[in-house]
Amino acid sequence: MIEARGLVKRYGAATAVNDLSFTIRPGLVTGFLGPNGAGKTTTMRLILGLDHPSAGTVTVNGKPYAQLPDPMHEVGALLDAGAVHGGRTARHHLLALAQTNGIGRRRVDEVLGLVGLTDVAGQRTKGFSLGMRQRLGIAAALLGDPRNLMFDEPVNGLDPEGILWIRNLMKSLAAEGRTVLVSSHLMSEMEYTADHLLVIGQGRLIADCGLAEFIARGSGQAVKVRTPQPDALARAVAVAGASVSAAEGDGELEIRGLTEDQVSDLAFAHGIRLYHLAATRVSLEHAFMELTADSAEYRAASY
Amino acid sequence: MTSLTIATDPAGPATRPAPRRVALIRTIRSEFTKIRSVRSTYWTLLALVLASAAWCVAYCLGTVHQWPHMSAQDRSGFDATQDTILGLALLGQLVIVVFGALMITSEYSTGLIRTSLTVMPRRATLYAAKAAVFAAVSLVISFAASFGTFFLGRILLASTHAPMSLSQPGVLRSLIVSALYVEVCGLFAFGVGALVRNTAGALTLAYGFLALLPQLIRALPESLHDALMRWVPGGDALNVMTATLGWPQRLMFSAWGELAVFGGYAAILLAAGAVLFSRRDA
Repeated sequence: MIEARGLVKRYGAATAVNDLSFTIRPGLVTGFLGPNGAGKTTTMRLILGLDHPSAGTVTVNGKPYAQLPDPMHEVGALLDAGAVHGGRTARHHLLALAQTNGIGRRRVDEVLGLVGLTDVAGQRTKGFSLGMRQRLGIAAALLGDPRNLMFDEPVNGLDPEGILWIRNLMKSLAAEGRTVLVSSHLMSEMEYTADHLLVIGQGRLIADCGLAEFIARGSGQAVKVRTPQPDALARAVAVAGASVSAAEGDGELEIRGLTEDQVSDLAFAHGIRLYHLAATRVSLEHAFMELTADSAEYRAASY
Repeated sequence: MTSLTIATDPAGPATRPAPRRVALIRTIRSEFTKIRSVRSTYWTLLALVLASAAWCVAYCLGTVHQWPHMSAQDRSGFDATQDTILGLALLGQLVIVVFGALMITSEYSTGLIRTSLTVMPRRATLYAAKAAVFAAVSLVISFAASFGTFFLGRILLASTHAPMSLSQPGVLRSLIVSALYVEVCGLFAFGVGALVRNTAGALTLAYGFLALLPQLIRALPESLHDALMRWVPGGDALNVMTATLGWPQRLMFSAWGELAVFGGYAAILLAAGAVLFSRRDA
């Protein structure tokens, strides 16, 4: 459980994080979403006590980060996979981190196995690929078997296999009851992993809701139909109070405000033949663009 | 692909509060792992030993060569211990400064500091552990270099029959003060590293202090120069600290006094570094 209340961070005249309040709950993958420069990394640094907030508080399991007795057992974080000394081997890197929290060598070897780096554990990390570094960073986060995990842009620069691996890892960590916060500016990635979304723009909270609700809050779900009688169907839909627009193909319509079943029933009642009927999900990316188009217009929504 | 499931209870082991002392001991262990697991440590320490030894060999062989042509007065005024040990102070200070500065700045240049502070958010503890590990390792190596070069010099100077034994007045003091001076220079650079958090900047400042400042002082009017020289590093200070025969310098403090001056500087920088390390955003 990670809680922020009225969190503010200013760097000189610039405000990176502006009055953020949120609660990140266990058992879910919470996607932390926002365009580049929205304040995601700054927020994570504030959670970890690396930066001091200008105002407000943030706690992990009810305590400010710096007061956690053995922080690795409570929070595992991957901020920047490149942040390792290239001259040190993977095993020594992890061992040095583990020792600060009284974690032994056996656990170091265990997490190396968990992320698939056992074979290269004795190699200097300067030869590591980006994917191997990400795995090493995740190994470090897992060392203390923590209840809270934070990953900053974990899939950046990874190949498809690596992306899939991270996705599955995050889901399984959440399924074990852990709190998982993962930031990304890739909306499509969040569609596959996140259960819950925390969306920020220009340092402000735009949305704190479930994935489906977030998409619905955009232009919502649409139903696409193809019919030989588009005019008749358009009239019927309009009468039913939903909106309708012509889609690209001949005789194709896009209907908003009705479900697939409702559209089918409506057509049947009016004796209109349908050749094709399908719900099209507005992509998260689309919903995100709509909601962040003018960040100031949108107020934070409650959970 | 490796199995993803984590065997242990997700609630984590019951967190035992780590008292301050336990946290410090663990962090010292961690810092020792860091220092022993990078090659630059070994290269730097080897450079320190080799530079001291090379100086010792060059000067001792030169002395052996000159010995037959020296007057009785010159021979009796020859400070054999200083001849062997001066290289450690003169060159060792320049090497240890790199080691001391890198101890802090390499974490900033790689970004590792953010990970280090995430796993050990008690900043004073992390800083103290780093300083302690650096101090211990550099102390061992500077004492080894100091006594090592002395005994090397004794072998090389054997033919001169110049008196060289630890029981002679001033010899032990010279060896200890020289080693501690090198140690103090390293801690000074450590503090500078914590202040500027950048290798190039830290080395520029440390070298400016050790090598440039003495030159600048020399350019001052004589009265000012005479008043200041006991407070600055440089040849005179090194001579006072390494000499065993009594360095006739009315303008300087004693060997221990000079060491205390530089120890004071190092303490001030270490303390300033600690304050900023605790307060600044990482």
